[in-house]
Amino acid sequence: MVAPQLVLAALLGAAGFSASAATGGPAAPDFALASTAGSNYRLSEYRGEVVALVFWASWCGDCRRELERFERLRRTYGSVGFTVLGVNLDAEPERAAALAGAAGIGYPVLLDAGKDVSRSYRADDLPLIVLIDRNGAIRARHSALDERDEGGLLVNLRDLIDE
Amino acid sequence: MKTASIILIAVLAATASAEDRSALDAEVQSLRREVVDLNRDLFMLEEDLLFPASTQVAVFVSMDVGTFFDVDSVQLKVDDKEVANYLYTEREQEALKRGGVQRLWLGNLKAGEHEVTAFFTGAGPHARDYKRGTTLQVEKGVGAKYVELRISDKASKLQPEFVVKVWE
Repeated sequence: MVAPQLVLAALLGAAGFSASAATGGPAAPDFALASTAGSNYRLSEYRGEVVALVFWASWCGDCRRELERFERLRRTYGSVGFTVLGVNLDAEPERAAALAGAAGIGYPVLLDAGKDVSRSYRADDLPLIVLIDRNGAIRARHSALDERDEGGLLVNLRDLIDE
Repeated sequence: MKTASIILIAVLAATASAEDRSALDAEVQSLRREVVDLNRDLFMLEEDLLFPASTQVAVFVSMDVGTFFDVDSVQLKVDDKEVANYLYTEREQEALKRGGVQRLWLGNLKAGEHEVTAFFTGAGPHARDYKRGTTLQVEKGVGAKYVELRISDKASKLQPEFVVKVWE
């Protein structure tokens, strides 16, 4: 019974089907955004890494805690293929840069002033954390985390890193 | 005697299963190759159907040297309508500098004259913000039309140069 599944998986992979078909998660919409530092980033360039997208805005009370949490996680798991991309929804990029600087985050803060990316990820409530696996499929979505939720997030994250 | 028989059966079973696995591997590889070929043919067929040669227009971006310009984005307008707006990452800039050619847009235009305008933004000489536009009147005939937007260096003026070239 295992062999036909392997054959099917191999064929799907060969045909270039999206990872979502094999993993059960929808494919993460690709995007390119400029960062507060001026460089441009494209999500699809991080295929092969586990990516956390952190959607946030300066007016969102819980967002700062998540920015700091993901900076800690990046420092811990960055060397094993974990990347964090902050996606800021402020209309004024200066606010995003100021808050990111104050929170001491070292990952890129991408500017989505036009809200196109946040709309495609249905970021209705902030903060929103989207975990994307190494094949580019969305595997988990989290909103503001309490201690118990953080445990769940860590389990998800470690599983994705181990895959 | 009984133990020896069991060992013999185990060895034969292991050999048979290894052979089976190898045959299965070969079969999977062959199927994979066929699926890849089929996928390529389907892709080409889809492009032929969606963009028939009689209406097909493709716009490419290339860069020659690129000492005087780091491209940040290119906005493309056809007949005053925006059809592409592309942001370049560092990796993509490098790929262009190494000779890569990017297909910026593939679309359909009916026969006749069309205006293609491209706006390039980026960092020019001395890392200063730089924005330039270039316009070209394209005469679309019966065959596919290929337009190349080439960013090159004008060494005599120490400035970038934006050239539009039409390939038949």
